[in-house]
Amino acid sequence: MTGDPGSGGAAFLLPVGEGPDGAILGLLAGALESGAVDALLLPVPLPAGDSFAWILTRDPAVAAGGRPLPPVMPVQGARALRDLTRKGESDVRILALMRPCEIRAARELAKLGQVRTDGLLLASWDCPGALCSKDHVADPDGAGRRFAGMIAAGSPDAGGGVRSSCPGCVDFSMTDADVHFGLLGEQDGALPVMAGSPAGRTLLGSLGLTPAAGTARWKLRAEMERERRETSRRAADEAAGSKLRGAEGLLSFFSACIGCRICRAVCPICHCRLCHFDSETPRPDPDAFFDGAELRGGASLPANRLLFHVGRMTHMSLSCVSCGQCSDACPAGIPVADAFGFVGRAAREAFGYEAGRGDGIPHPLRTWRRIEPDGIGGLVRDAEPGACAHE
Amino acid sequence: MSASAGVRPAGTVRIGVYLCECGPNIAGRIDLDAVRDALLAEGGRYRGAELVVKRYGFLCSGPGKQFLTDEIRDNGLTHLVVGACSPRDHDSTFMGVCAGTDLNPYLYRIVNIREHCAWVIDDPSGATGQAVSYLLGGISRVLRQSPLHERPLEVNPDVLVIGGGAAGMETSLALAGNGRRVVLVERGPAPGGCMGSSSAAAEAVRRHPDIRILRESEVSKVIGFLGNFEVEVTRRDGPAETVAAGAIVLAIGSRTFEPTDDPDVSYGPDDDVVPLEAMERLLAGGGEPLLRDGSPPRSVALVHCVGRGELGYCSGSCCARALALAARLRAVRPDMEVVSVHRDLCLPGRGGTGILDRADASGVGRIRALRAVQSGNELAVEAMDGTPSKRRFDLVIPVPGTVPADDTGRLAAMLRIPLDEQGFFREMHRMVDPSGTATDGVFLAGTAHGPKDLRTALRFAGSCAGQILTRLVPGERLVPEVKVSEILEAYCTGCGNCREVCVYGAIHADPDRGISVVNEAVCRGCGNCYGSCPSGALRTRHFTNEQLLREVDEALRRRVPVLPEPPVAEVHP
Amino acid sequence: MDGRPAVRDVLVIGAGIAGMKAALMLAGPARRVVLVERLPIIGGKTIKNEESFPNMECSTCMVAPIQQAVLQNPHIETLTHSVLEGLDGAPGDFTARIRAKARYVSLEACIGCGMCWEACPVTLPNEWEESLSERKAIYVPCAGSLPNVPVIDAERCLRLNGTEECSLCVESCAFEAVDLADGDRILERRVGAVLVASGAETMSPAPFVRLGWGTLPGVFTSMEFERLFASNGPTQGAITLRGSGTVPGSAAIVHCVGRAEAGYCSGVCCMAAFKYERFLHHRIPGVRIFHVHSDLCVPGKAYQGFADGSAGDRSGLLYSSSMPDVEVSGSGDSLLVRYPDASGAVAEVRVDMVVLATAIVPDPSSAALAGTAGLGLDASGFVGTADPSGGSMETSRPGVFVAGTAQGPMDIQGAVIQAQAAAGQIASLLDRLRVDRSGAGSGKRPAS
Repeated sequence: MTGDPGSGGAAFLLPVGEGPDGAILGLLAGALESGAVDALLLPVPLPAGDSFAWILTRDPAVAAGGRPLPPVMPVQGARALRDLTRKGESDVRILALMRPCEIRAARELAKLGQVRTDGLLLASWDCPGALCSKDHVADPDGAGRRFAGMIAAGSPDAGGGVRSSCPGCVDFSMTDADVHFGLLGEQDGALPVMAGSPAGRTLLGSLGLTPAAGTARWKLRAEMERERRETSRRAADEAAGSKLRGAEGLLSFFSACIGCRICRAVCPICHCRLCHFDSETPRPDPDAFFDGAELRGGASLPANRLLFHVGRMTHMSLSCVSCGQCSDACPAGIPVADAFGFVGRAAREAFGYEAGRGDGIPHPLRTWRRIEPDGIGGLVRDAEPGACAHE
Repeated sequence: MSASAGVRPAGTVRIGVYLCECGPNIAGRIDLDAVRDALLAEGGRYRGAELVVKRYGFLCSGPGKQFLTDEIRDNGLTHLVVGACSPRDHDSTFMGVCAGTDLNPYLYRIVNIREHCAWVIDDPSGATGQAVSYLLGGISRVLRQSPLHERPLEVNPDVLVIGGGAAGMETSLALAGNGRRVVLVERGPAPGGCMGSSSAAAEAVRRHPDIRILRESEVSKVIGFLGNFEVEVTRRDGPAETVAAGAIVLAIGSRTFEPTDDPDVSYGPDDDVVPLEAMERLLAGGGEPLLRDGSPPRSVALVHCVGRGELGYCSGSCCARALALAARLRAVRPDMEVVSVHRDLCLPGRGGTGILDRADASGVGRIRALRAVQSGNELAVEAMDGTPSKRRFDLVIPVPGTVPADDTGRLAAMLRIPLDEQGFFREMHRMVDPSGTATDGVFLAGTAHGPKDLRTALRFAGSCAGQILTRLVPGERLVPEVKVSEILEAYCTGCGNCREVCVYGAIHADPDRGISVVNEAVCRGCGNCYGSCPSGALRTRHFTNEQLLREVDEALRRRVPVLPEPPVAEVHP
Repeated sequence: MDGRPAVRDVLVIGAGIAGMKAALMLAGPARRVVLVERLPIIGGKTIKNEESFPNMECSTCMVAPIQQAVLQNPHIETLTHSVLEGLDGAPGDFTARIRAKARYVSLEACIGCGMCWEACPVTLPNEWEESLSERKAIYVPCAGSLPNVPVIDAERCLRLNGTEECSLCVESCAFEAVDLADGDRILERRVGAVLVASGAETMSPAPFVRLGWGTLPGVFTSMEFERLFASNGPTQGAITLRGSGTVPGSAAIVHCVGRAEAGYCSGVCCMAAFKYERFLHHRIPGVRIFHVHSDLCVPGKAYQGFADGSAGDRSGLLYSSSMPDVEVSGSGDSLLVRYPDASGAVAEVRVDMVVLATAIVPDPSSAALAGTAGLGLDASGFVGTADPSGGSMETSRPGVFVAGTAQGPMDIQGAVIQAQAAAGQIASLLDRLRVDRSGAGSGKRPAS
C-alpha cells in the first residue's frame, strides 16, 4: 500500500524545476504529444479563479493551463470518470490525474459497474489534504498559499482549514494507481514518479525519464506521515463512535440536517438515478403518520430524515473512501464524513474488505458466501430502547 | 408504471369482496356479517372505490364459481378479493374464474381467513378482528395491482442432444419422428459410446431421417430459453453452426476413475494389472487373458470399490460388471482361480442376484474384506474380523468407480446449471424431477446425471424424451411466467447486482445503454433481483414493494374492536 | 376397430407418485387421463413417510402440490376407491371396465369436517396406520387425506352389514353428504393406452418367527416405524414402544429382512435404515443405534454421503455373515438380537427396540390386476416389461405400460423416471396410431 512502488516495480525521476505543478504538467503534455495516451483528464482553473473543473482534452495547450494539484476538490474525480466511461465501449487511452481518494472511489465504482477502466490510466500524488471549498471561494489566494505550505510539508496540519476527514486519511499516498507522483520524496530538484502497474510502467518508460536509483526518502517520509495520520484517525473514530452511541446519538449527530440530500449528490459512490429513499417504497401513507403519532406521541415529518442517513450508510459505506465531499458540501455544517468513515471502516473490518483496491475482489454485498461473517454483531453498541417521537 | 399502480385509482373502481363460509370451517368461528359491516364501514379509506361485500357457502364449488362469475359480470367489478382458504388450495381456482370473465386474473387476490384466522385463533372476536385486518390489507394490495397479460410464445419442437452414447442415442430415437427433428452433437468421430459405433442403436441413429449427427463437434455457446434455444456448435471440419432447438438434452456420459488415484492402489507398467474395462473389451473381442510374458494367469483377483473412498459414493453398477466378468473369465479358463475381493456387494434388483448366483455357480471365489491394498500384483487384505493377510495374484483387475465427464464443468457454466457435490450436473430435484435442471428446457440423460447402470441410463433418456414430448408439442405455444421482474431504464445504472444474484441467467447487461435488462421469457419471478437492487429501478410484477408494504401497513393498522362484547383485551397488532 | 380413429385418452392405474406424475404429463385439452386408485385417497406410499431420503424433505409437502395439481386438473378424471375389472381391446382402442366402489359419502357435498366419524360407534384397527391406531367404520385413512372425504367400510358398518339400524353418521352430517343407499358403479372408459403404476408392498415379517414381530412388542416393521415417526401418525411423531409407551434408549435396525426369501436385494432398505437412524437420533438424543447388516447397498451419487452423514450418531455397524440366521428374542424388559458375525460365531446386542428393514415385494393385488389386464408377471411377481434390457416400459401386452414399484423395487427417483419415460412412450404411441389410422399428420410442424 503506501510507500510501495507496487506491481509496476519501476521508479523514475522527474526534475521539479520551478515546482511540482509545472513538472507534472510537463509530463502529462509529453505523454499526450508522444502519443502514449490519446487524451488527458485533469483539473483546470475556472475563469472566476475560485474553483476548478475537470477537463478532458487532446490539446496540449489546454492541458498546459491545468492545475494538477488543486487545493480544493469541488467535484470528486470519480464522478467525472463515471460520466466518461459508464456507457458504451471505447479504445481511447485516457490519462487522468487525481487525488488518491478519487482514484479509490473510481476503483469502487468499477466494481459497481459504473466506471470502465479499460484504456484508463490513473495517476495520483501524495495528497496533504483538501481545503474546505467555502474557504477557497472566499479567499482563493490565501487558500492557495496555505495549500502550497501543505504540499511542501506533505501534511494537512501545516495549513489549517482542511477538511475534517483529511488529517485521518492514511491512504493519502500510492494505492493502486497506474502512476504516482511521490511529492514527499522530492530531493535534489527531482521527485520520484512511480509505476503502480505494468501499464504505468510502459507509459513512464516511453517518456525518456531517468530511472530513480531508489525511493528511500519518499518511503521514509510517507511512512512517518502515515503514522501521524493513523493517530489522528484513531482519535477521530473514537470521537465519532462516542457521539454516535444509540438512537439518541444518531439523532443528535444529524439533528441540524435539513434533508437537502447534498451529501448524496456529491458522494462519488452514490450513483443510483432513483435513490431508494426517493422511491415510493419508504413513503408511508398519511394514515401511517397518524398511527405513528398515536403510538409514539408524535410523528416526524418529512419522512425518513434520519433513516435516509442510516440507509445510505447501509448502501454505500462499505465503499466509502473518506474523501470528505459530504462534509464539505453540507450546508448545515454536519461532519457527515466522520460518521460515514467511522461506520464504513468498522463494517469493512467485519467483512474483511478493503475499499478502493483494484484487486478484483468483488464487493461483499454482491458476493454470496456459504458461511457469512458474523462479526457485525460485535460492532453494535448497546443501544437504549428509545421511544422518541422523532424517527 | 401503469395508472393502477398508484394509490388513487382512476375511473370507477368497484371491488368485490367475497367471504367464503367454507361450511363451519370459517363461518363457525368468524362472524362474517360483522366482517362485512366492518369492511363497508371502512369504505371511505378507498378513495372513491366502491365496495361490494357478500358471503357465500363454498366459493370453490361449481355453483360457487358460477356465483363469482355472475357477480363479476353483474356488478361490473374491476377488482376481486376472496376471503377463503389457503392460496395453495384455491388461488388457481379463482384465477380461473377471472380468466372466464373480463376481469384480468391479476386484479384479484385471495386472503386466507381460514388457516390464518379461523383455524388458529380460538377466540371468535379475535379471529373476526384478524380477518378484518387481513381483508383490509388484501383490498389495499389489490388496488395497487396491475393487470398482467400472458403472451404465449411459439416453441421450436426440435431438440439438441449433446453426446452420442447410449443415453444420447436412446433419447434421439425416442424423440425423432413425432413431428420433430433431433440434432445430435458428438465429440468423437461417430456416435456409439459404450455400446460401440456398430451397435444397433448407432445404426438406427445413423439411418433415421429426422436425426442429424454433427460429428467431431462441440457446443460452444447457448442462449435462449425453453422453446427457443440458439446453440453454437463448433466443428472440427467446417465453420461453426447455429442450431435452433426448443430443448437441450445433456447426455455426455461419464469417465472411469483412474485406479492409481486411489491411495490403496499402486501399480506400474511392469505389473500384470488390467483395469476392468480393458479386460471386458478383450473378452468381448474373443480374446483370452494373458500375462505380459505371454503366459496364461493361474490366479486372477478383481478388486472392487477402487476409488470409492476418494469419491465418497458407490457407483452402483461396478459390482455387477465385475462379477459378470469374473464368471466369464471362469468360463473362458475353467482352471484359472478367479477371486472377487470386496467389502459390501452392491447388487440391487433381480438381475443383481442372478449375476451373483451365476458367479458363485461358475466357481468364482469371494474374499470379503474390510480393506484391500494393492501394490502391483500383491494384495494386502484385512478380513472382516481384522485379520491381515497378503497374497500375490498373477493378474489383478481393479474395478474403479465412475466420475463426471471432463466436459461437465464447461457445459454446466455455459447452461447455468449448478454441479452437485460429486461434480455431476445437479438435477432439479433428486426425487420428483431427477432429469430436469435449474435451466428450464435442459434435461439430463444417462451417467451425465450420475453413476448408474445401462438400463437406468436408458430410462433417464426416456424420461427426458417424455418430458419434451409432452411439454414441447409442435404447433402449441408456451406461456412464460407473467409475474416477472422488470427494470426501468430511466432509473437503472447498470450496477449489476441483479445480474449477480440471478440464478436463471435471466438478466444481461446492455453496455450501450449502461443498464441491465431482464429477459422476461427466462425470468421465473423469484424476486431475488428485487431484493438486490439498491435503488428503485427494478421491481417484480405483482409483488412490488408498494403492494406488499401497503398490504402489511393496512393489515397492521390499529383499529377499534369489531365486536363490542367481550372487549378485546389488547390492541390488534 | 379398423377405420375407427385411435382414442387419445389414457388410463392410469394407481395414484401414487408414478401414476400422478404420468397423469399430469399426459393430461391436456386433447387428451384425458382416467386415474384409477384402489384406495379412497391418492398419494400412494410416499405420503406414509414423514421424510424421504436422501433430501430428508417432508414427504407430504413434496407430494401435496402434485396431489393438488391432479385433483384440480380438469383433464384428469380421478376415480378413487375404484378398481379395474376388465380391459379389452388393443392399442388405440381399449375398453376398460372400472368398478367405482361405493364410498357412501358424496365427494361434492362433503367438506371433511369429521363430524361423521366422531359419531360412529364402530372402532377397528386402522390398516393405513399399520394397525398402530384405530379408525371408525366411516373414516379417512389419515389426517391430510386427499380427497378429504371419508369412506364407509361396508363390512364393518353396522347398518351396511345388517347388524343394526344405525344412522349416527347420517344424522351428524350437516350437509347431507352420507348416502347409505350408494352402490358400486361399473364405468366404461375408452382409452388408447394404459399405464400400470399400482405400486408394491413391504414384505410382512410375520413368517419369520425368529424375528419376533407380532409377539415381541418392541419389534417394529419399517412401515410401522415410518408411521411412528410421522407427525400425522398414531403417536404424533413420538417414538415409543407398543403397550408400555416408553421411549427406547437403544435400537437395532435389522437389514435384509426377507432378502434371501424374496431372492433379491430391494436396493432401498439400507437407505431407509439410515433414515430411521436419523429419525431416532432426532427424536431421542443420545439413543444408541445399531445396524445388523451384511452388504450395505447405497448406490448412486447421493446415497453413500447420506449413509455416512449420520455415522456419528450410531453406536455400531454390526456385520453379520448370514442375515437369515438373525434372531430377536425377549430378554427381561429388553430385546436380544443374536447374529452370526464375521467368523461365524454368534454375537449379540441388547436393545430396547428393533426395527426390521423389510424387502419390497409385489402388492397382493398385483396378481389379480395382472390377470384382469392380461399382463405377464416376472418370476418375483412384479409386472414385467417386454424388453428385458432396453428402456421401453411396455409390458407383455402391447399398449399397456408399467412404471414405478409395480415393476420392481425402486426409490422415488426411479419411480418418477420410469413414469416420465412411460408417459413419453405412451404419447409417442398414441401419436403414431393417430397418424396410421387417420392418415393425417400428427404433430405436424406448423408451416413456417
